[in-house]
Amino acid sequence: MLSTLQSLDIFKDSYELRIAELKEEREKGIKVVGTFCLYVPDEIIFAAGADRIVLCGGRTDTIPVAEQSLPRNICPLIKSSFGAVVDACCGGNLACSHVPLVDVVVAEATCDGKKKMYEILHDYIPTYVLDLPQKPGSHEALNYFLSELRKFGKFMEDLTGNVVSNNALRREIRSANETKRLLHRLFELRRRDPPPIRGSEVLRVMQKQFFLSPDQFRQGISQLCDEMEHTTPDARTGPRIMISGCPMAAGNTKVPDIIEQKGGVIVVEESCTGTRSFWDLVDEDKDPWKALAERYLEIPCACMTPNDQRVARIVDLAKQYNVQGVVYYTLQFCHAYNIERLRVQRALKKEKIPLLAIESDYGDSDMEQIGIRVDAFLEMIA
Amino acid sequence: MITAGIDAGAATTKVLLLQDREIIGYRIAGTAFDFLTAARNMFDELLASCDIGREEVGKVYATGYGRNAISFADKSISEITAHAKGVLFLFPEVRGIIDVGGQDSKVIVVEDGRVADFLMNDKCAAGTGKFLEVTAKALEVTINDLGGLALASNHPADITSMCTVFAESEVISLRARGITKEDIAAGLITSIAQRVVVMAKRMGLKKRIAFVGGVAKNAGMIATLEKELGVTIYVPFEPQITGALGAAIAAQGEHVTPPIDS
Repeated sequence: MLSTLQSLDIFKDSYELRIAELKEEREKGIKVVGTFCLYVPDEIIFAAGADRIVLCGGRTDTIPVAEQSLPRNICPLIKSSFGAVVDACCGGNLACSHVPLVDVVVAEATCDGKKKMYEILHDYIPTYVLDLPQKPGSHEALNYFLSELRKFGKFMEDLTGNVVSNNALRREIRSANETKRLLHRLFELRRRDPPPIRGSEVLRVMQKQFFLSPDQFRQGISQLCDEMEHTTPDARTGPRIMISGCPMAAGNTKVPDIIEQKGGVIVVEESCTGTRSFWDLVDEDKDPWKALAERYLEIPCACMTPNDQRVARIVDLAKQYNVQGVVYYTLQFCHAYNIERLRVQRALKKEKIPLLAIESDYGDSDMEQIGIRVDAFLEMIA
Repeated sequence: MITAGIDAGAATTKVLLLQDREIIGYRIAGTAFDFLTAARNMFDELLASCDIGREEVGKVYATGYGRNAISFADKSISEITAHAKGVLFLFPEVRGIIDVGGQDSKVIVVEDGRVADFLMNDKCAAGTGKFLEVTAKALEVTINDLGGLALASNHPADITSMCTVFAESEVISLRARGITKEDIAAGLITSIAQRVVVMAKRMGLKKRIAFVGGVAKNAGMIATLEKELGVTIYVPFEPQITGALGAAIAAQGEHVTPPIDS
């Protein structure tokens, strides 16, 4: 296998540093916002002088707490996240140490499971919900989203007592774009054959993106890219794989780990923990609110209808990264991504790119079953 | 060259010896708790019965759920690939394979002599041999008698439970209502066949379909599948060995062509 990249150690130690930083900020009266989704623009939070951490849970141990309140047959990400926040609010110690540091949650009206979960979450922690149009692509949808972003800006101003000025927004847009450009550099390097880094390593780094500070994260990515540019990876043996689908929140690396253990080479991820977070930049020259509304409404999430841009993006990425097969990953009971699979599969079939669908939760009980499918898929496309 | 295929399945283990293009012997037995010892003993017995020394066997390939536990095998391959190779060896014209085994069922699409797509159901016992085994017990018949009983039915009972445990209690309540064993057996078989047919249609199987795995020994199941799919189905002389056969073929190298008389 590939030699381990030294720069990855930066990310291993970063969590404790970040916790210390957040505690310090709170002592100074800086508000910490917890979010669950890419549709909530970090730029607005940072422009208001607040900090943010993403609360999406990938761990299985907080799920039983959630199942005391929520139905069992909803996605594990919702249950894990909800369980972590509720446990932390009730003085438990199951959740990671960043969860109790959140002052307020800024949620979003995406899938049904999350929307309804937030209503209950509000009983435990103040939860603001950013609304989204479900059918993007029209002026009306864009104007509505723009008004929602301005309302959200007002909420942040009231929370922090700071003004969200156009200048502060422009500064944060430039900062976030810098992160996005660095991630493009990282992903560009993965187009090489063989790629200089494992997919599971990139996933673990991408998961860190959501609770490190932008500065801390960029520093790590920058060093990682420098090192990768001078690394000669071992010759690869397995087929090039793209993962597409649901986010894999921190703690959840099951499927990529299995794919790599079976000999697949993961070269790109079309997901919230992959390309969706950074692929499109925000226009730095336009009115900052309008530029944010346009960019964020273009995120190709399956909660939108129709979602042709995602299907096109997947086919495009599959070609750009020269993949031999796509593993379509869905969290158990995620209707939006599960249903959208067929359209993705049909589009890929036209390009003669095979797809393997895997629906799974956070438990280990299906590892052998997934392993068999992955083995068979890799044999099929080899 | 003599090669061996070992299919360490969840319910049964199959061992097969192949000399070039000829099957020289095979064995089928229930999978023991100790996969490895059971498979090794079966392999030794098969070698002895065929009067072949271990040193005469070239490569040994393993497949099935326990494939990675078979330490004396040279390599392991997935059962999807193995079944496709085994079935194509027996029926080169086949384009789709339905495999219903002890603890899973799968549908494989074959194009140009190789796997083009597949679908597996192994999350629960519904649509597997286990479903028939458990529900046959509730009828107080063996799984082997279920097919014959079903063929004698004129009005298959409507079994609505997908869950094996619930189906078992459904069988008991149907019996309490005086429904005949024949009609209940037919109902059970229709229920599992319909699940498999949905998988087959999802994969676009239309004709030249082979049916393998332990459940393919059930005449009632074959008849129901043929009715639901509207085609004649290819069933090998021994439907349980196609995985082991495919593994043995893979062990021969990639150059084995099907026998001329098939």
